[in-house]
Amino acid sequence: MAKCTIDGKEVEFTPGENLIKVAKRAGVDIPVFCYHPGLTVVAQCRMCYVEVEKMPKLQTACSTNAAEGMVVKTTSEAVKKGREGTMEFLLLNHPLDCPICDKAGECDLQDNSFGSGSAYMRHSEERRTYVDVDMGDVIQKNMNRCIHCTRCIRFGDEIAGIHEMVAIKRGNNIDITTIDGKQLQTEYAGNYSDICPTGSLTLKDFRFKKRAWMLKKTDTVCEGCSKGCNMEIQHEGNAIYRCVPRENLEINKYWMCDEGRFNYHYTQDPARILNPVQKVGAAWSKITWDQGLSALKSETNAVNTLFLLGTDLTLEEMSAIRETVTRNHKNAKLLSFGTHGVETSAQDKSQDQILKMKSKTSNLMGAEKLGIEALQGKAKADVVVVFRGGRAQLPAIESKKTIGVGVFLEKEVTSFDVILPGLAFTEKDGTVINHQGKEQRLKRAVLPREKCKAIPEVLMLLLNQKTREVLA
Amino acid sequence: MSANSQTLFVQHFGKDSNRTLDYFLKNMNGYEQAKKTLTNLTPDQVIEEVKKANIRGRGGAGFPMGMKWSFIPKNSEKPKYLVCNADESEPGTCKDRQIMRYTPHVLIEGLIIGSYAIGCHHAYVYIRGEYVREAELLNAAIDEAYANGYLGKNIMGSTYTLDITVHRGAGAYICGEETGLLNSLEGKRGEPRVKPPFPAISGAFACPTAVNNVESIANVPHIMRMGGEEFAKLGKIDKSGGTRLISLSGHVSTPGVYEMQAGSMTLRQIIDEFGGGILNGKKLKAVIPGGSSSPVLTADEIDVVYDVEPLMKIGTMMGSAAIMVINEDTDMVKLLLRISKFYAHESCGQCTPCREGCHWMESILHKIIHGEAKSTDIDLLVDVAGNIGGKTLCALGDAAAMPVQSFVKKFRPEFEAYLKGQKRHG
Amino acid sequence: MEKQLSNKFYEAMKKLEPRYPNKKALILPALHEAQKEWGWLPKEVLAEIGEYIGVHAAQIREVASFYTMYNLNPVGKNHLRICTNVACCLRGADDLMSYAERKLGIKCGETTSDGMFTLSEEECLGACTTAPAMMANDDYVENLDINSLNAYIEKVKNER
Repeated sequence: MAKCTIDGKEVEFTPGENLIKVAKRAGVDIPVFCYHPGLTVVAQCRMCYVEVEKMPKLQTACSTNAAEGMVVKTTSEAVKKGREGTMEFLLLNHPLDCPICDKAGECDLQDNSFGSGSAYMRHSEERRTYVDVDMGDVIQKNMNRCIHCTRCIRFGDEIAGIHEMVAIKRGNNIDITTIDGKQLQTEYAGNYSDICPTGSLTLKDFRFKKRAWMLKKTDTVCEGCSKGCNMEIQHEGNAIYRCVPRENLEINKYWMCDEGRFNYHYTQDPARILNPVQKVGAAWSKITWDQGLSALKSETNAVNTLFLLGTDLTLEEMSAIRETVTRNHKNAKLLSFGTHGVETSAQDKSQDQILKMKSKTSNLMGAEKLGIEALQGKAKADVVVVFRGGRAQLPAIESKKTIGVGVFLEKEVTSFDVILPGLAFTEKDGTVINHQGKEQRLKRAVLPREKCKAIPEVLMLLLNQKTREVLA
Repeated sequence: MSANSQTLFVQHFGKDSNRTLDYFLKNMNGYEQAKKTLTNLTPDQVIEEVKKANIRGRGGAGFPMGMKWSFIPKNSEKPKYLVCNADESEPGTCKDRQIMRYTPHVLIEGLIIGSYAIGCHHAYVYIRGEYVREAELLNAAIDEAYANGYLGKNIMGSTYTLDITVHRGAGAYICGEETGLLNSLEGKRGEPRVKPPFPAISGAFACPTAVNNVESIANVPHIMRMGGEEFAKLGKIDKSGGTRLISLSGHVSTPGVYEMQAGSMTLRQIIDEFGGGILNGKKLKAVIPGGSSSPVLTADEIDVVYDVEPLMKIGTMMGSAAIMVINEDTDMVKLLLRISKFYAHESCGQCTPCREGCHWMESILHKIIHGEAKSTDIDLLVDVAGNIGGKTLCALGDAAAMPVQSFVKKFRPEFEAYLKGQKRHG
Repeated sequence: MEKQLSNKFYEAMKKLEPRYPNKKALILPALHEAQKEWGWLPKEVLAEIGEYIGVHAAQIREVASFYTMYNLNPVGKNHLRICTNVACCLRGADDLMSYAERKLGIKCGETTSDGMFTLSEEECLGACTTAPAMMANDDYVENLDINSLNAYIEKVKNER
């Protein structure tokens, strides 16, 4: 394998790799702004200077590919001076409003300034200022903080497939914006905030809610569709504040859609049913778990019971349900539901040629692997039991009694009779299989709320109740 | 010296009637070299001849032209493009305009031969937007060439096909930079590209491309007529063949576009013999020898042979051979502010040091002139220039930094006079 | 939306289309042609060009705003662009600019109230050996001095 030397360390590389990637493997972090591994290289910010032997000028590591025998220095005086110069230029017009900026604590400009900048300011000129346009529901714009790295422009053009963020005018007056106050059209706008190396593009949804450094982070998988985008849940005090994509080059690369990003909100919706409830007249009335389980047990002993299982459940939950149904309800049917019109994986296609899939649940493939057939059309039985993770689209149900186990919002279950509250994807561990057949793990980020219980636990209690009765 | 000097272009300049095909055929052996090339020579033979001619690019960088052409891959499946850089925008430069106005057909003939040499079937002339009339004249000449079988299918009975399209810029200095030019040709902002890949591999429309200056291409028929070796001998200095068109402006008695055999005159001789000395008998103070980006020379530094290497040796450059002569009455600080303002205005804004730094230098100079500067600001100015020069994505950063560094170095007392309050903007 | 650009524009574009490997390369020629028709480039025209080329309207604006010759705001009937770069400056361009400002009663960058003149400062026009120079609409006026500038403005005024 080809080798080069970075700061005295010999590193192997594959031809075509740039010095940023190669250096990273040697444990050397090169500061960057405009470079992003998922976007084209433009070498504009001039932060990633390195010194390459036999080259008279400083080189930008992002646009320099490693070559056999290349000797690279990343900490020489020339490099330090170069980076310090760049930092000084970038801060000439930056407002330094970190105390009121949501990016603070996770800001490349802060980090690189700390790492490579000077503590002293040599300029006394008035700062350049802009009037901002409103760019829609997702992104809050603050052009004064912008350092013109153009990541957002490239993201729109190269990933989201829409050239809506543009650079208007030129030189020192460039404004990076949508035109005429147009709202962002892409359904991937949240990524603009992720990739912005300053607080120029922040999430409206996260604005002034929490300091970045206070957030705890849990790696999990998005449940928004069958893509299985890798995601990080950021939370504190058992509340979720934000979800951001995690790198997975085989699935979502560095990105995720807004639908997936903001999907978690329903788990904290005040209308989510968090206690076992029973319909009395038109209203819900709280019951105990024992009462709820009894209801479930007695109803499902009916002759004609249909168990429905959401394709938003984990493989473990699905197996447990199937096990219970096949053992204890020999005459009952078990069918899956998830997305109207996308009953099988064969019907599950890319929705937008970017990330979104047509199946709006995370585990259609898992249900198929377990051999669970899909419900076609209406659910019709004397008793219908719906197990649901929270996202599967409820089918039309025609029954005498309907019982829900899992995550439901009040408005979704007006025709139901009993609800036994379960755990959302943010509250449990488990396995899902994405449309490519890749198994991925969900991880619990927050604890179950109020009286919610995991489905396996519900099934176990049900079984125990049975056992207790048999023994009695 | 200048009287005996052989010239290839200037004798045809100045008369509107010279731009016709008829004049070209009668007085400039028009299209004979194209015909000879297309019927008798291989592309490699053309490139070989141009290499022998020792011709350096006339746009500013001075890169050997034959070498540039030889970088175009021969076995690439992609179309290849020859793009003529007629953006002529380095302040002081206006020679290409004369070629396009008065001898457009020699440029067209050069494009035919050059395109044939690199395997191009569609050449573009990227002309600066302000040259509206020049673009019209060039288009008229191209139409004339099409009508007479010098362009289009089966040129002059050969199997070779070539189209030429004139593409107008729209006011951006940076489009003179070859990759900025290519972006502009492709309908984008004229922002320079990261190199590599170089245009020879991935240029216009991601295809192999050679970008050559107007004067460079217009020399090609002369090279083919004289033979590379004879053409090279026109140059009186190593590694620089042919003649050079010089744009001589500023405080000289007779400004104009002149032509000399490469390396045959010193800067002083050019100013005295071509320029007729300093305007109104004033004293010479300084010379900007190669377009506004080239480091300035003082009056004692002009006994230097005017060509690429001798100028490089004394720390400046020939650039596009645009000489601006400055007399004793000129305020060098104000002149530098004017230059810095230009580069700040023309910075495309994509890379940090140029976008922020050029504007900052302009601001510091503004403060100096208006008596608002601190005593440390001259050093700050030079340091900022140092943080720009050699650090930017394209050469504009260097172009902006070099004048600042050289003006302060050579005329520092004038800057200090402002700081001491001896001079004030009035 | 009602069409802003004439058939003539579309015919000119049709003729240029085969001269480029893709339509995007027609953005600059299209902007020139549209400006010829309109004198400047209103938003609606930019949007229509975007539609014709097949790109987002923002992309047209992004390109147009990069180049100084595309007028994104209306300009006077006579757009005088005086070069004040080095060579012209050495030959008295600053005096010409102040004279023009006084003569027209406007500041550089402004348009006279009757819409007859817009005065701008121009970077190097490439007419350095015939400095000072200005561009008056599409034509160069070279070897200027205050007398000839005055004469030019008077001539244009009388052509009204």
